[in-house]
Amino acid sequence: MMEEYAIGLAVAFIAVIITFVAAIREKNDIHRLIIADLAEVSVLVVIALIATDLAEALIIPGLVVGISELMALSEIYLTREGLNNPVHKPFRIEVLDTAPTIIAVILVLYGIVLSGFTGGAVAGTGVIFYFMGKRHAERFALIEAVSGYAWALWIVAFFIFMVMPEYWFFAVMLAGGAILAKVTAKMSLIGTMRGEKDV
Amino acid sequence: MFELSSSGVGGQELFVLPFGDIVDYFTPYTGALFLFALVFTLICIFSKPEKQLDVVFGTDAIYAKEVTGKELHFRRFMAIACGLATMGAVTSGDVFNFTLFVSLVGVCIIGIVAAVKSKHVLNAAFNYGIISMLATVPLFGGAAITLAATGTLSIWELAAIAPAMPWIAKALILVGVMGEGIAPFYAAKAELFRAPGAPYVIMIHVSSLLMFLRVVEIMLTV
Repeated sequence: MMEEYAIGLAVAFIAVIITFVAAIREKNDIHRLIIADLAEVSVLVVIALIATDLAEALIIPGLVVGISELMALSEIYLTREGLNNPVHKPFRIEVLDTAPTIIAVILVLYGIVLSGFTGGAVAGTGVIFYFMGKRHAERFALIEAVSGYAWALWIVAFFIFMVMPEYWFFAVMLAGGAILAKVTAKMSLIGTMRGEKDV
Repeated sequence: MFELSSSGVGGQELFVLPFGDIVDYFTPYTGALFLFALVFTLICIFSKPEKQLDVVFGTDAIYAKEVTGKELHFRRFMAIACGLATMGAVTSGDVFNFTLFVSLVGVCIIGIVAAVKSKHVLNAAFNYGIISMLATVPLFGGAAITLAATGTLSIWELAAIAPAMPWIAKALILVGVMGEGIAPFYAAKAELFRAPGAPYVIMIHVSSLLMFLRVVEIMLTV
């Protein structure tokens, strides 16, 4: 077991060294950003080598930190290079004016049937498609408010689990419904992220 | 359980707050660091930013840069977040939580200057960010090797089996903390300081100083 860990660690460190050498040699800023992200992925490998439940729990915060740094830096890059306004026209074909409503309704209904995280993803896909197809006056405030309340309900459900475990069924329902609304709201924001100014 | 076996530089613990096996604690040393971070966060909340003065060379002209509106709000928010992350890192009793808080401080430092619309400052923030992304490799790598070698991340348990943490893990964590905040990358940080607005910009400095003092304490305790 320990020997396999050592071999894995050696391989991971070879990968880390290759990425670091690449980061030193690379001059193009956007390439350096991507290489830095690759380095963060390789450290997730080092954590994953421990191969216990705890390691699994440590990977998620590591990943979140990496993604947040990547997003912050890419935003800085865009601001620095003045790339914030889209230079091309949004993609338009006729079917995008007629089909979205039906498909979105089907996906959202199916998502509600599935419920939970998966259901949220399916319903969210439907709402993304709707927003991408229709040109719309956005109602970000509404979507964000729904998302915020859903998050609060989710936390409430967790408190019920910890403080009053006998009401677990109510908490499961609360958490399932809340995460459905939350994932749907988050994903639908992706659909609004094209073509409009200041979005 | 709540007694640091090798007291290191920290002295006796004053207060412990156990969450399962993650036990946050104050010693006189970390308590002082915490108070310092708290006071500085309060200064960031209540003070107005200073006006940075630029001299135009060869003339008598001076112009003042102001921090107003949206930029003020965002930078104040990021400075407060940076203060909270620093307080978290100072009190944390778990090696992995400490490394997470350190990288949170790194993100907040970038955020403090990110709202400034100056190409020099944004360029410095970008380069600093690349370094701090690369520095998460030794930082988390060190924590992971500690877990693999000793089976625990709690500073309490690591202190109980004193020289348990492998030296390579210590070295990696030290390098990681350096990359996230301190001395060798002073060149990029000097450019960050061209951003106007004193209490927020100084927060960068305060947090990295406190990170360094805390990592020294951890290295000597475990």
